[in-house]
Amino acid sequence: MGQTVVTGRGVVTPIGVGADAFLDALEARRSGIEDGQGTCDDFDPSDWIDARTQRRSDRFTHLAVAAADQALEEAGLTDQIGESIEPERIAVLIGTGIGGLSTLEQQTRAVVKDGERAVSPHMVPMMMPNAAAATVAMRIGAHGPGWCLVSACATGAHAVGEGKRMLERGDADVVIAGGSEAPLTPLAIAAFRQMGALSKAGRSCPFDARRDGFVISEGAGVLILESEEHARARGVKIHGKVAGYGASNDAFHITQPDKNGRGAIDAMRAALGDADASTGDIGYVNAHGTSTPFNDRVESLAVRSVWNGDAPPISSTKSAIGHLLGAAGAVEAVAAMGALERRLLPPTLNYTEPDPDCDVDPIADGPRDANGLVATLSNSFGFGGQNASLVFTAA
Amino acid sequence: MSDATETLSGEKLEAFEKIKALLAQQEVPGAAEATPESTWEQLDADSLDLVELVRALEDEYGMEIDDKELDGVQTVGDATDMLLRVRSAQG
Repeated sequence: MGQTVVTGRGVVTPIGVGADAFLDALEARRSGIEDGQGTCDDFDPSDWIDARTQRRSDRFTHLAVAAADQALEEAGLTDQIGESIEPERIAVLIGTGIGGLSTLEQQTRAVVKDGERAVSPHMVPMMMPNAAAATVAMRIGAHGPGWCLVSACATGAHAVGEGKRMLERGDADVVIAGGSEAPLTPLAIAAFRQMGALSKAGRSCPFDARRDGFVISEGAGVLILESEEHARARGVKIHGKVAGYGASNDAFHITQPDKNGRGAIDAMRAALGDADASTGDIGYVNAHGTSTPFNDRVESLAVRSVWNGDAPPISSTKSAIGHLLGAAGAVEAVAAMGALERRLLPPTLNYTEPDPDCDVDPIADGPRDANGLVATLSNSFGFGGQNASLVFTAA
Repeated sequence: MSDATETLSGEKLEAFEKIKALLAQQEVPGAAEATPESTWEQLDADSLDLVELVRALEDEYGMEIDDKELDGVQTVGDATDMLLRVRSAQG
């Protein structure tokens, strides 16, 4: 069983479409947040999907297809399925926090207003959370395992981690893994706002004393995972290794993190153990860093606890792009790997007032050179207390 | 336009063209080349397309099409006949 490597990356984010455009924008300290939310303005579904599929699928599927296409192309797989790659050996594991929300909302209005016969026959296949994974598989003819996992804001990271496990078990030779979310709908925004999760100031300022909630965003992230041997035999560029994956459960509260960070600590330790890495190997942590009062305090505590007070620099991608919910972990995996490949730590934006409860170095002055960087860790913690951490090492 | 389409006239041609236009709106792959003899399979239309078409016709003509009217509707021509039959029955 070889190591899991990443040979393709695809993202659609509020600061750019494409992994390199996204990483460039992070380095340039660009913000994709406008009017308190992060919309993927540069994304046009017509660039990626035919008209028929477009009208028969939800935006979360459109975003996933675009990310998957980019990743497949970067990995040199676009024309190889059914050629050098057996279709049965390609798996698709693309999760989402919620699924086709705008479809659900439109059809709910239709049934209330005009009754049962007004409901679209496309409603179920558009809204079901596994639609993105199914659509990606259909487009490329991937006949290996196909599924969707759901763990709220940890979905994308769990998908990458479980994709690694699928390779280790021998379920597939290539896993297309990631997450997608299109939650910028009236109902979802109202619901998150009603629970007090969204920033009233419309500002994502993780670890800052002024933080008052997250900024809701849309997007997708997809990685092509394969074993190192498989990738080397194909002669493709390796962007990084998914060296470790750890998952845990707070089993504490349906939305609040465990006060002592128990689940977060367990996930990070499990990921380090899986990578056979020590805390000293990790030169950068890509935080979950939502900008909610609870998360950032508990995450800081958890990171300090795992590193015995001597934590590496830690920044939050969500300061630039907001919270992509089920896509966040996959997009942030690209950021954590990008730090390794570029030897450059991305910044936390909007950090001006330190919070004594968040005693970490948030790389407010970033991007920061990191010449000796050999490993990074990315955290994702979902509502429900479901946590995933990933450790990445250089190619 | 095919010979078969040219033989249609009046109300029937109008109904056929309406169905063809709705299929095109639904992005049915073969919609542009549809003739009265085209089967759903030939047009690459699936069962969901048929449901959507029926609902669109109901909206267009302000009528209800009972599911049993769809029995034996295999082609665009069958659908055209069905539409005219239901329209005349519902006055």
